[in-house]
Amino acid sequence: MASRFPVQDVPPVPSLDRTDELRSRFAELEEKSKARAIGIAIDDLETGAQFHYHADRWFHAASTIKLAILLGVYGAIHRGELLPQSRVHVRNRFLSAYDGSPYRVAVDRDANSAVHREIGRTLRVSELAEHMIASSSNLATNLLLDLVGLDVLQRTLDEFGIEGIDLRRGVEDELAFEHGISNRVTANGLVSLLRLIGEGRAFNATLSQEMLEALHAQQFKSGIPAGLPPEAKVAHKTGDISTIAHDAGLVYLPDRKPYALAVLTEWEPSTQGRSTTIAAASYLAYAALIGDRD
Amino acid sequence: MADGTPNFPLRLVDGRRLERRYRDVLLPGGILCDHRGQARVLPRYFYEVESWEQARETNLAPNFTVSEFIHTDVREAPPLRVFPRYIPCATALLAVALEQFREAVGTYVYIGANGGYCSPRHAGTGGASPHCWGTAANIYRIGDTYLDTHESIAKYAEIARSLLPTVWTRPLGPEMAKTDDHLHLDLGYVISVPREAPGETYNVKLAGDPL
Repeated sequence: MASRFPVQDVPPVPSLDRTDELRSRFAELEEKSKARAIGIAIDDLETGAQFHYHADRWFHAASTIKLAILLGVYGAIHRGELLPQSRVHVRNRFLSAYDGSPYRVAVDRDANSAVHREIGRTLRVSELAEHMIASSSNLATNLLLDLVGLDVLQRTLDEFGIEGIDLRRGVEDELAFEHGISNRVTANGLVSLLRLIGEGRAFNATLSQEMLEALHAQQFKSGIPAGLPPEAKVAHKTGDISTIAHDAGLVYLPDRKPYALAVLTEWEPSTQGRSTTIAAASYLAYAALIGDRD
Repeated sequence: MADGTPNFPLRLVDGRRLERRYRDVLLPGGILCDHRGQARVLPRYFYEVESWEQARETNLAPNFTVSEFIHTDVREAPPLRVFPRYIPCATALLAVALEQFREAVGTYVYIGANGGYCSPRHAGTGGASPHCWGTAANIYRIGDTYLDTHESIAKYAEIARSLLPTVWTRPLGPEMAKTDDHLHLDLGYVISVPREAPGETYNVKLAGDPL
């Protein structure tokens, strides 16, 4: 059974069907953490049970928008427009969604410098997708977004009927940000997307599996995985900027289908305890679904 | 060789005699219009590159191999993403010019992906770009210097212009048709017809000769 890290001396967690009690527990976590807002969505692929806590509230997407871009890239692969091994010119020059003016992704603001080292050369679509997810490369993200196209990516979401993901620009597009153009997500939106992948319905089982493999390679594990027992495997994507900390993924436990979980949080800048709060929310979700008795 | 024929390993081909799928993307001897609406005649003769290994082993100049001029990405037309590939014969002239440039700067000169020959059907080619003639290079790095500032681009553009009086360098700036992350230099719409190329057929009526 799970350790109760990071929440010490936690009272028994109500099961998922005791919705009001569980909502109270998340409300308590929200209050104690001093987060400006928390949104939670749980969708259990084993039982079909669901839970929502401010799950339709819009948040700045931060890097969780990369889930939508991953889906759109595999859509292009599904249509035969791209191959995973297709070569893409690595160029750090993008056009703002606000006025079309050029901008660059600063290497010191990017979690991954490996893609920057390839400027002038080419990387494969699969390599860019891996960098985009595993180490959250902003440069890889914008290259893929440029390649497939913003409208095509958003249309992919629409075709799957996914609401709650609003893709409007590339990452690090400061001019667009200053003019109120930002990517937005809801917890329900991200969980809808994850459910598609988890059920092998994102185009087909093979492509869904390839996306899962990319998500399993996630290197940032201080959010959802930190609230789970060691045997849990998580295919997920984090998002972290000054006022935002998110984590959304599929949690795999032995002998059962996964559950999809999105934990979205908004903060005053430089507030501490953001990862701990996500881990605590992850534990609550786990305990509500699986039980927390030792 | 004793008879003066170049000892060059790539096969010279008449683009008009290639398979349809290649003709459709190379447009040999076809017309492209530049941004001012001026018609420009595309090259007809190409060198055939059988493999990436051959591209890497074949020099067009002492420090430039064929591979550096055919490094394109998924935006290139599908038939040209696999071998055999084709480069206009004038690419060899560009390589000679770049060799002079390399000697002047005293270090490695790196041509970017999509920065050598691009076919007229390359998705990044707008109109009659000299890249479609094989006479343009986008240089993104010289030695350890990435050409991503106006200062570095201007410095090396000046060297290129002083060394190669007829070379054209793209103006600096963030706008369309300007550059701010590489040095673009080109020799214009140069067509090279090697001596061993078959002669052109000539028909006054077809050519529309006003004389």
